[in-house]
Order: sequence, then structure tokens, then C-alpha cells
Amino acid sequence: MKRAYLMELTVLKSYVRQLVGLGFFVAICICIGMKNIVSVPGILTMMLFMMSSMSAAAYDEQNNWGLFRLTMPVSRRDVVLARYGVILTLGVVGMLLGFVATALLMAVAGAVDLPGGLSGMLAFSPENVQAMVFASMFCMVVGATIASIVTPIYFRLGQTKATQFIPMIVVIVFICPFVVLGGSGMLDAGAVHLEGIMRVLADTLALIETPQGVAVFAVAALVFTLAVLGVSSAISLKLYERREL
Amino acid sequence: MTIATDRAQNAAIDATSLIEARGLTKHYNGFSLHDVSFTVEEGEIVGFVGKNGAGKSTTIKALLGLIALDGGAADILGHDAATLARPSGAALKERIGVVFDTVSMPGHLTVSDVASMYARAFRTWDQRQFQTYLDRFDLPARKAIKDLSRGMGMKLSLACALSHDACLLVLDEATAGLDPMARDEVLDLLRAFVAEPGRAVFMSSHITTDLDKIADRVIGIDGGRIIFDRYKDEITDTMGVARCRVAEFEAIAASGIIPEHELRYLRHDYGIDVLVPDRFAFAENFPNVPCDRMTIDDYLTLTLKGGVR
Repeated sequence: MKRAYLMELTVLKSYVRQLVGLGFFVAICICIGMKNIVSVPGILTMMLFMMSSMSAAAYDEQNNWGLFRLTMPVSRRDVVLARYGVILTLGVVGMLLGFVATALLMAVAGAVDLPGGLSGMLAFSPENVQAMVFASMFCMVVGATIASIVTPIYFRLGQTKATQFIPMIVVIVFICPFVVLGGSGMLDAGAVHLEGIMRVLADTLALIETPQGVAVFAVAALVFTLAVLGVSSAISLKLYERREL
Repeated sequence: MTIATDRAQNAAIDATSLIEARGLTKHYNGFSLHDVSFTVEEGEIVGFVGKNGAGKSTTIKALLGLIALDGGAADILGHDAATLARPSGAALKERIGVVFDTVSMPGHLTVSDVASMYARAFRTWDQRQFQTYLDRFDLPARKAIKDLSRGMGMKLSLACALSHDACLLVLDEATAGLDPMARDEVLDLLRAFVAEPGRAVFMSSHITTDLDKIADRVIGIDGGRIIFDRYKDEITDTMGVARCRVAEFEAIAASGIIPEHELRYLRHDYGIDVLVPDRFAFAENFPNVPCDRMTIDDYLTLTLKGGVR
């Protein structure tokens, strides 16, 4: 698997450089809009989780690379496990880069008086760090979940064909349940205990606002991320083994 | 269609088979590979010819363990080809150099990225050897694959396949897109490759003139079935194409010099081409009928398109 992992990194190397640049640009735009830098690591994390999965699948189809790679000393199993390893690696690298960049900005803002209220916006505060950790872990969960849904589809259908199906799958998984719940009147009829859900949600949010709560959430997010990628990789292994290239 | 399998089966009795295909069968919607069997022995360059869609690439995929077979089996370097699909097949794959009809890697990678990729994939990668080929082929290390001409790309693929100590080369249309001088250069490389003990080349090609120059044996496939498997010298040195008129054709048929079920011919506006199994014997019997040396292209055309009397 190590060979396939290194090969995958070689393919994605130059794209990741562009993606990190783009991620920082998007993060800066959002930070200016929000007048806050807490979202920087989260944006980079989510972008790298999602885009590494999608772009790796796109490269597989360039010049028949997905087929040719299997003539090299790697198996389909190696390819699948390496793909998930790279998605996780790049997601974590995105998060770390985001943290390093924001730490540097906070340090600069603390040392130099920046114009236009920037020093205040970039200033270090425990609340900002706590929010940053929460946002990053939340974005990791979202990014890993999306990567876990699309990667098996890419392995089964290939990127070109999968692109036709993914919008339909997103609608079925993410939109249809809410439309059915809302349209059927189940919420109004009391079949779903909305008040109870809202109360649990409020308690959870209150917990998350504490340092202990963020720590618990971070661990839970990490466990969830690893679990969802693990389940997805098991599905991808089965699908890719059966695929005719 | 008669299947010509009369090659000297025992000639290579002591030679080792680097490829042995036994009844390879694969069914797709609209196409099937039927019972494909052949061998590639040590020291041989075997050409694999046929029309587009005849089954060449499917056979190559089957040999490389890239597709699951519906029947039959193949041995590569003495191991079941199905092993190649498993993680345990990595060591075996190190010894097989593969070239497809394009540079089969993402276009943004540079020549030096490709070398890095191979260095990571093959424990036997020889960077110095690869650099020698880059210099020989004039391939710039910083150029991206997408910016290489087709010929340059094929040279890069061959340089890669020849730089990891492979003992078997499997080439799918590897000389396509090369200019005549570059093709000769590549053919020289292949000759030098098989000159080392324990090596062989299996190459599919539409450019049969390359096979005329280099192949030891030629295997033809059509409609997913092997239609001939002959030593090249048998085709080019012994066989011939008689260019005759209708009356001459009838005389040849009546003479019995060519068994009736083997009398393959192709009608043209200006006459009839007849496949002659032994052009020297034919010349003695029909000195007035011109009989040219057979090329692989002629043999393929007469076998595929020619009628049987």
C-alpha cells in the first residue's frame, strides 16, 4: 500500500499546492466578510478533504491512468486504501496549515499594530482558539462525510459517469428526507419530537461552548471521521474489485 | 476460417514459456474472446496483429490480470496471471514492462515526476538507466507529459518500461506515432532487450512493417479468436503472393499444388491475389505467374479478407 500511497501523492502534489493557495484565498474572503479568522483552518480542512477525493478520481481517468496503474506493482486493494490514506492525510495537512497560518497571523497582530482594525480582528483570544478548534473539527466531519459518499461512487463508476449521478444521490440523501418529513405533516403531528430534539441540541451547543465540550466534540469528530472513512473504504474495496476497467 | 496452428511446436521444446495463454475466454456485451491460446518463449519477439476490436487489447488485459476471465487461464513468467491482480503479485509485476498506446499517466506530470512515480512503484528502478534513455531520446526532464508529442510520449513510456529490469515487455501499439527513424531506434532497443537471456517481447501492432523487421513469430486474432500463429520467417521467406489472372487462378486450383481448402485468394479489379504456401515450389510449377514475397500485411489481408475456394 505504501507504493500506491506515494504514487497518489506524486500525482496530487502540484494540485495540492494550487488547492492550498485557493483555500487561503477563499479563507481570506470569508474572514473579511465575517471580520474573524476562526474559519481559516476549517475551510482548508473541508476543501482538502473534498477536493482531494474528487481530483484524484479525475486523474484516474486521464490517459487511462487508472488502468495503467494496475500494471505497476500495486493491487486494487492498495489503490483504494492509498486513496483514503491520501484523503485523510491531505485533510489533516489542510487543518494544520490553517492552524499554523492563523497562529502566525495572531502572533503578528500581537506584535505589530495593524491598520484598519486588523489587529483587533486577528488578536489572540481563548474564545477564538476554541471556536477555531470546533469549526475545524466540524468541517472535518463534513468534508470526510462528503468524501466518504463520493469516493465509492467514483471507484464504481469512474469520475465522468459519477458526475452525472452525484447530484441525484445528494438530492436523495440530503434533501428528500427533509421534504418528506416536512411535506408529510409528521413534524406537526408530533410523530417527531421536535421540542425534545431542540432541547438536546441546545444542551449540546451549551456544552460545546465550554473547553471540555470542545475537547469531547473534537474526539467524537475524530472517531466519526475515521469510522465514516473506514466504512466508505470497505465499500470502495468491494466496488472497485468488481469494476471492469 | 482455418486456424493455422502448424508452427513448429517442438522447435522450442527446451525454451521456457514467459507467457502461456490457455483457452482465454471473456464475454462482453457484443464481443467475446474465445479460447485464446498461445505461448511466448524466452528470446522471442512475438507480434500480435488484428483489426481494431479484434481482441488484442482484451487479450493483453487478460494476460496482465486486469480483467476477470470467464474461462481459461494464463501463466506469466511461470505464475498464474490472476496473481497479478492480488497484492502478492507485486514482485511479479516488477518483472513486466508494460507500454500502452499513450503515455498512460496524468498529463500534468513532468518527465521527472514520471521517474519519481516509477522509483516509488518499482524496487528495481534504475534511475541511471532511465537517464541514459532520456539523453538518448532527447527527452527534457522538466517537460510535462501533455506537452510531449505522441512520438516523444511513446519514447518516454519505453524508457520507463526498459528501466526497471523487466524480463518481459508487453507492448500495445508501442511504435504507433513514431517517425520511421525513431521506430528503427525503438526496434533496435527491443532487439537488444531480447538478446539478454530470459527475456521476451509480446507486442501488438498495426504497423506490420515493424513486425516484418523484428518479430520472430506473428499471432493473428480476429473476432476474439486466434486465426494464425506462425513463425515470421515462414511467412516472409517461404510464402508468396501470386498475382494472377482468372485463367491462371483456375489452372493453379486445378494443379493441386495448393490443397483446395487452403487456397486463399482475393479478387481485385485487375486480377486475383493467391496465397502461396511455398513460393519456390510454386515458381517451379508456374514460372509465368509472378509470385511476390509475402509480407505480414499481405498474409493478414489474405487471411482476414480472402476467400477460400
